[in-house]
Amino acid sequence: MDSSSATAQKIDISDRMDPVTFEVLRNSFEYACTRMTTIMQRTSFSPILADILDFSNAIYDAKVRLLAQAANCPVHLAAMQYSADAAISRFPVETLKPGDVIALNDPYQGGTHINDITFTMPIFYEGELLGFAVSRGHWMDLGGGAAGGMSFSTHIAAEGLRLPPIKLYENYEINRDYLAIIMNNTRTPHYIRGDLQAHLGALKSAESELQRAAARYGVETVKAAMNELIGYTERIVRKSIEAIPDGVYSAEDFADTDGFSPDPIKVKVTLTIAGSDITVDFSGSDPICKGSINSPFANTASAAYYSLQFFLAPHAPSNAGMFAPIKIVLPDNCWLNAKWPAPTIGCTTLTSSKITSAIWQALAKAIPERVTGSTCSECNWFVSTAVDEETRRADVFSDLPAGGWGGTPFNDGMSVTMDPLGNCMNMAAETAELFFPIEYEAFELRQDSAGAGKFRGGLGAVFKVRYLCDGELNMETSRTREGSPGVNGGGRSAVQRSSHLYPDGKELVIGGLSPNGAWTSPLLSGHQFSYDEVFKFESTGGGGWGNPKDRSEDKVLSDVLDDYISLAAAKEKYRVVIDPKTMTVDKAATARLRGA
Amino acid sequence: MWRVGIDVGGTFTDLFAWEENDKSYKTAKVLTTKDDRSRGVVQSIEAAGIPFGQISFLMHGTTTATNSLIERNYPDAAFITTEGFRDTIEIGRQHRKALYDPYQSKPEPLIRRRNRFAIPERMSVKGETRRALDEEVARQVAETIARRGIQSVGIGFINSYVNPAHENRMREIVREANPDAHIVISAETRPIFREHGRFTTTAIRACMMPVMTSYFDRLQEALKDKGFRGSLLILKSNGGVMGAKNAKDRPEELIESGPAGGVAYAAYLSRTTDFDNIIHTDVGGTSFDASIVEHGKGLVTRSYELEWEVPVSVPMLDIHSVGAGGGSIGWVDEGGSLRVGPRSAGSEPGPVCYRRGGTEPTITDANLILGRLNPSLSDKFELDIAEAEKAIDGLAAKIGLSRLETAEGMIRISCETMAQAVKGVVVARARDPRDFVLASFGGAGPMHACFVAQAMNIPKVIIPGQAGVASAFGATAMNIRHDVEAFHYASLDDVDVADLNRIYAELEEKARERLGADGIGAPETTITRSAQMRYVGQTYEVDTDIPNGTITKEQIASIADAFHNAHRLEYGVSSNDFPIAFVALGVTAVGRLKEPPHFNFGARGGRANGSSRDVYFDGHWVTSSLYSGRDLEPGASLTGPSIVEYTDSIAVLPPGTSGTVDGSGNLIVTIAS
Repeated sequence: MDSSSATAQKIDISDRMDPVTFEVLRNSFEYACTRMTTIMQRTSFSPILADILDFSNAIYDAKVRLLAQAANCPVHLAAMQYSADAAISRFPVETLKPGDVIALNDPYQGGTHINDITFTMPIFYEGELLGFAVSRGHWMDLGGGAAGGMSFSTHIAAEGLRLPPIKLYENYEINRDYLAIIMNNTRTPHYIRGDLQAHLGALKSAESELQRAAARYGVETVKAAMNELIGYTERIVRKSIEAIPDGVYSAEDFADTDGFSPDPIKVKVTLTIAGSDITVDFSGSDPICKGSINSPFANTASAAYYSLQFFLAPHAPSNAGMFAPIKIVLPDNCWLNAKWPAPTIGCTTLTSSKITSAIWQALAKAIPERVTGSTCSECNWFVSTAVDEETRRADVFSDLPAGGWGGTPFNDGMSVTMDPLGNCMNMAAETAELFFPIEYEAFELRQDSAGAGKFRGGLGAVFKVRYLCDGELNMETSRTREGSPGVNGGGRSAVQRSSHLYPDGKELVIGGLSPNGAWTSPLLSGHQFSYDEVFKFESTGGGGWGNPKDRSEDKVLSDVLDDYISLAAAKEKYRVVIDPKTMTVDKAATARLRGA
Repeated sequence: MWRVGIDVGGTFTDLFAWEENDKSYKTAKVLTTKDDRSRGVVQSIEAAGIPFGQISFLMHGTTTATNSLIERNYPDAAFITTEGFRDTIEIGRQHRKALYDPYQSKPEPLIRRRNRFAIPERMSVKGETRRALDEEVARQVAETIARRGIQSVGIGFINSYVNPAHENRMREIVREANPDAHIVISAETRPIFREHGRFTTTAIRACMMPVMTSYFDRLQEALKDKGFRGSLLILKSNGGVMGAKNAKDRPEELIESGPAGGVAYAAYLSRTTDFDNIIHTDVGGTSFDASIVEHGKGLVTRSYELEWEVPVSVPMLDIHSVGAGGGSIGWVDEGGSLRVGPRSAGSEPGPVCYRRGGTEPTITDANLILGRLNPSLSDKFELDIAEAEKAIDGLAAKIGLSRLETAEGMIRISCETMAQAVKGVVVARARDPRDFVLASFGGAGPMHACFVAQAMNIPKVIIPGQAGVASAFGATAMNIRHDVEAFHYASLDDVDVADLNRIYAELEEKARERLGADGIGAPETTITRSAQMRYVGQTYEVDTDIPNGTITKEQIASIADAFHNAHRLEYGVSSNDFPIAFVALGVTAVGRLKEPPHFNFGARGGRANGSSRDVYFDGHWVTSSLYSGRDLEPGASLTGPSIVEYTDSIAVLPPGTSGTVDGSGNLIVTIAS
């Protein structure tokens, strides 16, 4: 059994520094990460970075402990820690110089899936190592058997170029040989240099921010504040764990398939709360699977940490202090502990989101009054080619139409909001159409897609894109067998579904449940579209919170007036009868139904 | 004749006016009339004793639009869009504000879903009709809207920025069913791509039109009754003013109408002092605003969000706000760290020392016990030091510092928060703070300005002569300004210069038309051009200056250079590796009004003559000189530690700083390096 937590070092919280200087420097560290984000967003070239924001930035202290992070993607949270560790174990600290940048994406050496590539740069002030800037981005395509690496086959080699830690820059200058290798191994070489410039710009901005702090407060004070910041987060997290009743809480969730298995694949999680410590044990989860949804240790740990952070320390700085009280236990032969050559392309999206749902359901047994319904629990990430009719050149576009969030103890869940694992934006229709031979036909709320509840889930979406060209679609999704669970009596959300629409009006389900009850795997690779055909995807909402019968009649009526729910759902799920002529609540009929 | 500036704030309505021939000026402050703010405007003119018939220009800053938007306090509006996009203004871009908060919600949609309608129709990205407007459905929708009694309708169709034919036709259909309604289309509101920003901005215009039309109608009526025959000009978000008719038609341009006056004052300072580059800062009870003025002009952004995912996609002054002000509350968080704000005691209940029921220690309480604030500062009431001390002691006990250390720490943390907002505008736009001076406005501004400057290595601070009515003063120094833009995507490599010349000519004509609608005849007009450009493949644009006159093929290379420079200025990088594209072209038309005279707001006569008091700085009580701002005459010099008390604010000069009063009565403070 592997058993470790992300930082082995014991954190000293005894010698606290002057609280005012601490607060000032804490701001400065956070600002450094925010600035990195701005630069990535504004100067990167590939739409998945610039428009969709699938990247994260962080700074680490000189001992390579996570200090502060502006994560657009929580799933990068702890995974970046393992990447930085792997980079430094290949290129030891004492050999590093200003302007060195180490790149890697190897899923078995601190990476997660091939597309997430991580850049680590040491930061020095007057010859002394202050820490590291780390920038991680999801690159559109790094080769493999299908666009975006989504071949959904059975070997990591089919998912693209696997980079061990390499020194991509020295003295801020790129290694031209490495660059040539990368450019030769992607379907989208036109993005590479621009995206690299953005990552380097982000790293350099963190460098200047930390150097500014060192110049003003001195290296020793900055280092003391770094140490204190980690202790600060650890204190918050421990206090929060102490507030959860000690005990052992288990729950399960499922991936629909790995693309090959006829049966769902199980995540089992057991949380053991003891004082201010949590053990997250994945024993009982299914073994390594054949298809591309296996999750390497870095990704599984990252998913566990971020899932817990929502209920332990949502407002605390994300840093190594978060990791210390949480211990991850993973069995050896487990799809959540992938080893070479198990393919992993779906781990950051499909797998992370099921881990979150399982952990939240386990927490609901410990703190039911605080936990929310599960979110859509999917990223719904697709990558497609679009072939230019004249040049026959294939460009690549990508999007991730979100679903809803679960109902909360205080309010309805958010509709169509990126799953907890990330915080990416969708493609704007008019941007997509300007650059690709496609038309966005719909991105709107999907009626009745949310789990019912006193506080219902947020709604999912109906998404449609029309090909004005030939294209090949690759997509990962799940929740096509059953929707996301609610809590405390809240209902389950609708199922997700992918369909292929033909110009003659024919509609074929290509992932999920057909009207005749047949089910097909929602992991699509190389699915062919031709001119004027439409890809339609229906995402699901979040699970409900509390008994739907406790939702006020006024709110149910209002939801019907806004078409969030149908008249039929009002009656069947909420037991509220609305007169379709007057669009008012039939009080008597409702009382009869709700009383029953 | 009088030039009058009026700023309607949350509590006070401020007036500053100057006589156009003899340099005399007047100020007034009256309570804001919250039920109908136009009454306070009239009252302030009466309080100043200015005859209404003697007003040439009345320049007015108003937060009415912003307030009613944030409160969702406006009549129901409807929105009509392309089938499949009914929820664009509700879904936004599907991301969330707080990364890890499981209980968060998105802002209420500006227009409820039941009043949003989708019509079968489709334009292609090239402006060709892919699907004709379904007139049958369109008519049914128009009738439903009319039946519901809705009087404001926004129309936004996909790709209408390329071809607005369907939006125009839809407008006709709505008008047939509902002849008196306000109807706005997205292609006129904001003819630029990216549907979320364009639709939301259109929805804002639709929601605000009835509110602002009624407000300006009432104001014009009241002014007319009093004999006003001058021009009413309204402050707009881009740092200029526009006539009332334009303001009624384009209320989405009023979002920063309030703060714009202060920025204009900073711009005036940059024209009348030795300092070209100024960081404008304003500190009130709850918030701190910061923005940049370069070479007499406020820096503009197009990525403003009113609330999370509620973009207002028009050129606006780039003003950053953070929750730090005199009322900001000090507290200890769950990790044991001392924090200040963003929660504020505001003016109700206010700081503890006001004795109006506040119990939590605020920045004002901290300033009081450090001796920076005079307990009998205002003639109205005595501040209660004992209560302030008690409140700070409670905080001090939790973090193990002394009372004074805690109070000084609160100020330092708060000033650090303010410095972050300054970074938000300065460093985030790749400027170096050392190239700027910090101008400090607002009641609580000059008390903290030197500390903020120290935190940012900013060498000088200006405390302007009319800080008390800054926005009203700034209003009188503004010019008419209209920004018009058109989408034009073209790679620099194969752009047709004839297209550029044609579009710029059209834009200039449009801008001049808009100036004409302001109703002040033909002011001296300056036209400048710009283009929003990017490296091909990027998703964000950078504003680049474009030369006037007929553009030739040969000039394209220098336009490329200008873009590289602009990109480097904004983001710190540029590269010749990538091709460049135009995304949108813009024209700014400025109608120049007479510049205010060179005022001297300093004392006439009188000498800098200080008594002293002990003030706590850096862990020690230090004897500090005390001045009355009224008594400082041009040329006066003072050294920190000093306290300068003005009518509406107090300036704190910490040890190591020194100040001089310039010829206009501005106090210029030099921060020790």
